[in-house]
Amino acid sequence: MIYRTHVLICEGTACVASGSPKVRAAFEEEIKRRGLEAEVKVVKRGCGGTCDLGPVVVIYPDMLLYARVQPEDVPFLVEEHLLKGRPVERMLLHEVTGQVVRSMMEYSFFAKQHKIVLENAGKIDPESIDEYIAENGYEALAKVLMEMTPEQVIEEVTKSGLRGRGGAGFPTGLKWGFTRKAPGNEKYIICNADEGDPGAFMDRSVMEGDPHRVLEGMAIAAYAIGNVKKGYIYIRAEYPIAIERLEIAMSQAREYGLLGENILDTGFDFDVEIRIGAGAFVCGEETALLKSVEGGRGEPRPKPPFPANKGVWGKPTNINNVETYANIPPIIRNGGDWYASMGTEKSKGTKVFSLTGKVNNIGLVEVPMGTTVGEMVFDIGGGIPKGKKFKAIQSGGPSGGCIPAPYLDTPIDYESLKELGAIMGSGGMIVLDEDTCMVNIAKFFLEFCVEESCGQCVPCRVGLKQMLNILERITNGEGKIEDLDTLDTLGHLIINTSLCALGGTAPNPVLSTMRYFRDEYIAHIVDKKCPAGVCAALFYAPCQNACPAGVDPARYVALVAENKIPEAYYVHMENNPFPAACSRVCPAFCEKKCNREKFDEAVAIREIKRIFADWALKDAGPWGPPEDPKKEKVAIIGAGPAGLACAFYLTRLGYLPTVFEALPVAGGMMRVGIPDYRLPPQVLDREIERIVEAGVDLKLNHKVDSLQNLFDEGYKAVFVGVGAHTSYKLNVPGEDLPGVYHGIDFLRDVNLGKEVEIGNKVVVVGGGNTAIDAARTALRLGAEEVSIIYRRTKNDMPAFPEEIEEALEEGVKINFLITPVKVLGESEVTGVECVRMETRGFDRGGRRRPVAVEGSNFAIEADTLIPCIGQGLTKGLDAQEELFNKWGFVQVDDRTMKTSIPGVFSGGDAVNPATVVEAVAHGRLAAMEIDKYFGYEGKIPFPEREVVGTTYDEEAYLVTLPRAKPCMLPLEDRKSFVEVNEGLSLDQAVEEAKRCLHCDRPPEEIEEEEELEKVEAVN
Amino acid sequence: MAEKVRTLDQLRKIREQAKKKMDIREGEYDYRIVVPMGTSGIAAGAREVLKAFLDAIEEHDLHNVVVTQTGFMGSDPIQPVALVEDREGRKVMYCNLTAEKAKEIIESHIIRGETVKEYVVSTPLE
Repeated sequence: MIYRTHVLICEGTACVASGSPKVRAAFEEEIKRRGLEAEVKVVKRGCGGTCDLGPVVVIYPDMLLYARVQPEDVPFLVEEHLLKGRPVERMLLHEVTGQVVRSMMEYSFFAKQHKIVLENAGKIDPESIDEYIAENGYEALAKVLMEMTPEQVIEEVTKSGLRGRGGAGFPTGLKWGFTRKAPGNEKYIICNADEGDPGAFMDRSVMEGDPHRVLEGMAIAAYAIGNVKKGYIYIRAEYPIAIERLEIAMSQAREYGLLGENILDTGFDFDVEIRIGAGAFVCGEETALLKSVEGGRGEPRPKPPFPANKGVWGKPTNINNVETYANIPPIIRNGGDWYASMGTEKSKGTKVFSLTGKVNNIGLVEVPMGTTVGEMVFDIGGGIPKGKKFKAIQSGGPSGGCIPAPYLDTPIDYESLKELGAIMGSGGMIVLDEDTCMVNIAKFFLEFCVEESCGQCVPCRVGLKQMLNILERITNGEGKIEDLDTLDTLGHLIINTSLCALGGTAPNPVLSTMRYFRDEYIAHIVDKKCPAGVCAALFYAPCQNACPAGVDPARYVALVAENKIPEAYYVHMENNPFPAACSRVCPAFCEKKCNREKFDEAVAIREIKRIFADWALKDAGPWGPPEDPKKEKVAIIGAGPAGLACAFYLTRLGYLPTVFEALPVAGGMMRVGIPDYRLPPQVLDREIERIVEAGVDLKLNHKVDSLQNLFDEGYKAVFVGVGAHTSYKLNVPGEDLPGVYHGIDFLRDVNLGKEVEIGNKVVVVGGGNTAIDAARTALRLGAEEVSIIYRRTKNDMPAFPEEIEEALEEGVKINFLITPVKVLGESEVTGVECVRMETRGFDRGGRRRPVAVEGSNFAIEADTLIPCIGQGLTKGLDAQEELFNKWGFVQVDDRTMKTSIPGVFSGGDAVNPATVVEAVAHGRLAAMEIDKYFGYEGKIPFPEREVVGTTYDEEAYLVTLPRAKPCMLPLEDRKSFVEVNEGLSLDQAVEEAKRCLHCDRPPEEIEEEEELEKVEAVN
Repeated sequence: MAEKVRTLDQLRKIREQAKKKMDIREGEYDYRIVVPMGTSGIAAGAREVLKAFLDAIEEHDLHNVVVTQTGFMGSDPIQPVALVEDREGRKVMYCNLTAEKAKEIIESHIIRGETVKEYVVSTPLE
């Protein structure tokens, strides 16, 4: 019977868990109802790798994949696709980009994969031996039994370069040879299917999707080793589907005479028995596994003797992992040379990985050895969800280590991973993003090993527990800096003295995260801060933890929800005196960590801030200078966000600081770097006026050239907040031609109201905020065409996403992977010669590395060229050479903002060009440190933090509610420098604030406990 | 109880038989026959035509052709129709088909590579 269409329904564990058997039943019923049973065949298949998309349905011959199919979708699917032949687009698989996948073969997830072990998985019915045979199944077994000697088989396997896929990577041919040579006429083989790493499911999928392949591989091994009549598959009880499929496969194979006595009439006897384990992690260790197979307690023993000489029942035993056996049939069929032609020098063939964690395409992946980590994460995995930043992968589960962003170009093979302190392991690959705390992840894996330790040897039983105690202290904010040395010593001690590989590898996650993310450990220990916002004991709410300046949205949002606008303003002022400016230009680190995002969308914290910020500009009372000022004189150079924040908090600490500003206006980059349509000058000026009222002496048009002069004038401390006001040069010929206007100069001149001449065709170079600002400003100055050229790809642009979107809306064109090599023109700019770039691998920063395509030069017509490729310090304080580092920025200790000169502090762009809020954080910290420098406490007097109570019906807001969107200036009005974002109304803001989940409240149980304690105390 | 496999030939025989039933999962074929099955197509007998194609393919033990269907292609008066597309993307549209004509198309076009000219509407990409 020939069917025109096959409907393959995945029944791997993941799809079964999401309900695929019900989907299959629905298909069968509906096909019958429509009278299609003679044309359409429903097939149960094994895991095809796209485990995140289950239940998965694939329709052949079109090779269309329907993702997340529910039984109620089936009648419509059958009618449309099977009856009328119209694929249902909305349910088809989509790429991360949103593009519909029209054939499974074109899906990017599969594009770089090379399937050997998984060649049948997802394509055949795992419960049909005929389908396995149709795909050349059991041919390799027939070949070895009928045409090859055992020695030839071992030679072929040795030639293939296959190494143990369980993790250790021991050459398979060599292992078989050892067992073959071991004396004895009763030998065994074992298939280690005790897959226990968190996040690993390769072996399960092979057994579920293509069980005969494992049996065939074992039978071949049995023949090659000789004197083997029995094999065991050691599998954990939590893999019921795999066990069932293996059992079906075994009985089918016996019926066909492919297992049992006299296989293929050649006189070879071999049979397989399944041994079910209880799921102890240590039983993956081969000597513990042996004991468990024998029915004893799964505890490892010292080696030697190795299992090859003394294994199960004391007889020579060959133990390989599921994937190793699964590789054998194709190696025999196609030859060892064929297999060895794939992979790297020392790691041959392919490897199956389970790709999980913070990655778009989750699932089973088979790639040739030598595929890079970056290809795995970004090409096959489709990158990180929600545009978050890649942080590291954890390879090899609790026995492995992490590989951070600078090593994305590392080829995946046994040696390269080991060199980085990770291991291949069985192939679990967990992707971690910026929201993962590396200390916490190390703690997670260690916790796993502590629980799984068999307890037999002291280093593992006691040592791991001690390490865990230390990590718990660190994540609770009680760590000491010497803990790092202790962890290191203890870790190596455990590795060197443990009896088996469990203890011998368990410290790896800790050691490897300490190697690459020491800063994060130090942040927990010294700063009592969890940068990823995971270790809850270290912060009130994730939004507050994320703010560089430590501003506390958890409180001010709750206050706005209660319509307490002035109170909200005062909360903000505790950490940042620029609410109005920040509500317009901050990248809102707080919103990126908002827990509400996991539910629907992040709370629009920045827009809520604008409500009280704008109220304060008009209606808040003046701060007033300190009544009884301290007598120490402090000078601040530069009236940017860092300098003015420092000045403001100095007034709160009792000083009357003086701010020197070289320009005729205050505000620094906020004033001359950010265009007026984003931050209107009157808003900023008013905000600065508030700060000046607090007791600051602001001297405009006053350039400071020498720190010594200030000290001579009686200033006892100086804060250097000079910003970074000089554009980097392209360093290409023709850059001096009239018509080239460097970004920072261009924006400054426009902002200061100077006459700026601009052409009709403007080309901007760069991908940061300055480039976007320059492009949008050029449009407003009347340029006809504005395009941006950027040497990398869109995802790599450092500019804020919403700014990029607005620029595109306004008509700015952005061209990627282009870089200028020459400015064209005789007496003025007429164009720019560019080359095209292509990406090759990844750079140390974790972005795709752009490389020029030779001979791809072409010209772009332009009369104005605005390079915006970065900025550095303006010359002025050159005399104080000792202030600067090799990059030309001021060198500070970032915990105190102290420079190498006593009494001189610095911050803001002068230290590291970044955002307004980061500059504010520097200035505030410097103010406190200056106070300490004079021998005071350095504590800004603000009230103790208290959780804000609310009176509204919070539960009413625990339903999906869209995030409030501010009014935007209509496109046709964006010809001038009028502010584009018009903000939320008060009512909108109050409603939006009610979406807050109030993460800063202590957990309720604790409150109850406290209540209880109080009651008991009273009694 | 299935018969035990004793020789390589027996194994290969099982393989050949099973393979036939799985051809359409290979994604490799020389011809693709597309039968539009909109309401009007079905009313005009497209389903019988589709079955006839499948029967003829089985009868002749062909492995190089798949039959699939699509929605309404906008050709009411000449239904049922079928589009035969080869690997190079050359398309031939046949019209006013019946089960007999379908069989003839298989035998002529698919097996011998000869277009059945009298049933052709157009060859748009020839």
